[in-house]
Amino acid sequence: MDIDDILADVSTAAEPQESRDLQQLTRAWVAERVAPEVLPWPAGLMDRIEGRIRRQIELVEEQTGNMDPKANFRLIVIQTELERFKFLVRSFLRARIAKIDKYAQHYLSLAAQQPTLLAPTELQYLQAHIALLSRHYSTSFLSAFPPSLQRLDDTAGGISMVDGPDLDTVVFCRVLRDVGTVRVEGTDVEMNMRRGDVWVVRWGSIRNAVVERGDIELI
Amino acid sequence: MYGELGNKLVQHAKRTQSLAHLPPYQTEIVRALTREVRDLDKDVAALLEPFQGSFNPSADPSTACALLVNHLCMRRNKRCLLAYHRVRADKLEEMCWAGVDVLERQQQQQQQEQSVAGRPRVEGALGGDVGNESSLSPEEEEYVRQYGDLLAAYKGQWTDIDLTGSLEPPRDLFIDVRVLRDAGEIQTEYGAINLTKNSQFYVRQGDVERLIAQGYLQRLG
Repeated sequence: MDIDDILADVSTAAEPQESRDLQQLTRAWVAERVAPEVLPWPAGLMDRIEGRIRRQIELVEEQTGNMDPKANFRLIVIQTELERFKFLVRSFLRARIAKIDKYAQHYLSLAAQQPTLLAPTELQYLQAHIALLSRHYSTSFLSAFPPSLQRLDDTAGGISMVDGPDLDTVVFCRVLRDVGTVRVEGTDVEMNMRRGDVWVVRWGSIRNAVVERGDIELI
Repeated sequence: MYGELGNKLVQHAKRTQSLAHLPPYQTEIVRALTREVRDLDKDVAALLEPFQGSFNPSADPSTACALLVNHLCMRRNKRCLLAYHRVRADKLEEMCWAGVDVLERQQQQQQQEQSVAGRPRVEGALGGDVGNESSLSPEEEEYVRQYGDLLAAYKGQWTDIDLTGSLEPPRDLFIDVRVLRDAGEIQTEYGAINLTKNSQFYVRQGDVERLIAQGYLQRLG
């Protein structure tokens, strides 16, 4: 449990954990689809969701034989909800994998510095994928190259071969708690972000407010 | 010379991006490019040889320029090759995610080509290697196989979610489908359904998603 969860506890103690999880999952899903870079893996949230999906599937399987129309109707409601949850998780994971694949080398080095950025399974996938790709390059043509040119993470000539996400991409966001003055780096633009505002800003300038403090959500 | 082939390869890659299928692998160009890089490297070594490792660029600007051009060309060629292979690998991965069996399709294509190409061969005029032309290089076939395994392993950790499922938000639990091709019998929670051609069913979407993707069923409404 980190500071975000504690804060969330204070402000929304009245709501049950389940609906808060759904809200968080939806928020994480939207953010992941909009943000140019991969966001830290919400381990606790995903564990809870995964467990709940499994329990619901078991419940559905148990009740299937039941011919009572009332129970049957409830089952349909549960299954519909289940499908929606599965869709959210699926889309969330796919959005992450797409970004991880695109900037594979970049995230490999980043994951070493920030162990909580990727889920263990994602890291495994990333490592295996990079190994596959470099073997593919190597057997296709790279092994015939002079040794000095065989590396895949060269930075010679001032150009790095490793491509990273563009943090200056513009995102739409909504302010959840008063943030105060935000500066956009490299310009003299200043914004006063108040609760309920909707802004179009560079991702880099609000990144911390979204990822670390949760004051802003992406839309 | 000096990057012309690389340009050609990049054009191929660019074209590949907007195609639905994968055009044949340009073995010749790739080979020629690798050869060019090796030749350039030899040139560099030959240029540097008389200096015995103590080359001073400002003392001999013309040699320095030649070296720079050679170096840049080698790097550019490498970049072109990487880009070309990456575009194709991406395409193959996309197919893996979409559940297309790339290798099987390859074989089918080859067989078709062979049966077409088989006839003139009997008459004697044409060479035999027409039918063996595959649009994947052997390395790529290997890559697809391994990536398929990797994807299956990753998917296996999320069995409940079905990662390669539809990315359209679900609206209805049950949908109307029409059977386009005989798909045999499938098991659902409500018993077995026999999918014969031209029949119509009202079934749970999750049960038939795969069959829709494979073209056995068509979604109605």
